[in-house]
Amino acid sequence: MKDALVLLGRVPAHPDSRCWFLAWNPAGTLLASCGGDRRVRIWGTEGDNWICKSVLSEGHQRTVRKVAWSPCGNYLASASFDATTCIWKKNQDDFECVTTLEGHENEVKSVAWAPSGNLLATCSRDKSVWVWEVDEEDEYECVSVLNSHTQDVKHVVWHPSQELLASASYDDTVKLYREEEDDWVCCATLEGHESTVWSLAFDPSGQRLASCSDDRTVRIWRQYLPGNEQGVACSSSDPSWKCICTLSGFHSRTIYDIAWCSLTGALATACGDDAIRVFEEDPGSDPQQPTFSLTAHLPQAHSQDVNCVAWNPKEQGLLASCSDDGEVAFWKYQRPEGL
Amino acid sequence: MAGAQDLFDPIVMADDRFHGEGYQEGYEEGSSLGIIEGRQHGTLHGAKIGSEIGCYQGFAFAWRYLLNGCAAERDSRKMKVLESLIGMIQKFPYDDPTYAALHEDLDRIRGKFKQLCSLLNVQPDFKISTEGSGLSF
Repeated sequence: MKDALVLLGRVPAHPDSRCWFLAWNPAGTLLASCGGDRRVRIWGTEGDNWICKSVLSEGHQRTVRKVAWSPCGNYLASASFDATTCIWKKNQDDFECVTTLEGHENEVKSVAWAPSGNLLATCSRDKSVWVWEVDEEDEYECVSVLNSHTQDVKHVVWHPSQELLASASYDDTVKLYREEEDDWVCCATLEGHESTVWSLAFDPSGQRLASCSDDRTVRIWRQYLPGNEQGVACSSSDPSWKCICTLSGFHSRTIYDIAWCSLTGALATACGDDAIRVFEEDPGSDPQQPTFSLTAHLPQAHSQDVNCVAWNPKEQGLLASCSDDGEVAFWKYQRPEGL
Repeated sequence: MAGAQDLFDPIVMADDRFHGEGYQEGYEEGSSLGIIEGRQHGTLHGAKIGSEIGCYQGFAFAWRYLLNGCAAERDSRKMKVLESLIGMIQKFPYDDPTYAALHEDLDRIRGKFKQLCSLLNVQPDFKISTEGSGLSF
């Protein structure tokens, strides 16, 4: 476990500020970072070095909290505390802000693109989740405003293949939404965390969802379709989600982010104790009650809170992380022998 | 002996009896005061919700009139959302304060209104009371 995570490089991405979030483009060639300096930076490799390819500085008046690439890789969305979400269009190395989405009453906390690229979701401290539709002319129209959470909504994420949206909130719950007759409805509430749920990640199949929380645990939820063999009750025609695994005792502070690698299935966490951890499912563990082992633990990955971890979508084991110290670090994860 | 016991009973039990009667009287007075106070609070709260919804309704009716004049193809979503908002407002149970999903429905109306504002590209110049979910005492 000792050399499971090897540092490849470190860049002062947002100096004298916090680096909040990272997003790899779908091709895995570019990494977008955003921070308290109100800027988004785009990183790429030149030889063995990570260099800043562009800076997106005109767009937001306050902290940029999250960024997300469209599935085609030609657009980048940035969510900011200035209550707006900017859509940037990529032309070679240049990015142009083509649309600013307004409507949230205050800080936008997260943004996510649906797998089709036709839908975008945003969430805010105003407790609402908005779903936007994109047409061919880059026009964005709001298709729903969901007020299901009772507190600040921290994160939104889409199912990897279906139009199913998940949100995490300060009200300690996770909610799932789907479309129903021209509108969107909350179709499931996942209760179990004892404090703020900070982030979410679907597994590559979309059958399981991992959530991480201020209660220092990670929970794995599994989807059960109506009439499932295991006899898990479904209230209606909607699938029900059941917590099948809780990872507790590993983290000593709030877990701010979780990333489920679409290539290997490894689960990485970003924690307020400055550490990065990686978990892997034990081979042969019961799918209804899986067990996970800690396969990497790097105690001082950053000098302050780790805010985000992101697996490269194309290169196995390449992990990026960022922190309150303003830095972005790149890691090579090596799956330990014997697993 | 039994007679002598009965004789002293009212004296011994007086404490209990007065306590019980006092409690009863106090309880009744408190209840009626509480009902009055509750009614006032409810009236106030109900009026707030009513004026909020009334505002949405007026907004929706005005926009329906405006859009009807020039119903273009690209306005179809606006009209749909508008009609949906009006439908929700009309279905809202104004006579039943005990309706279980009252706040849920109110939040859905608020969401629909915000969506409509976004589609119309207008910013409502009145503030929506965000503390609307749940009574605050």
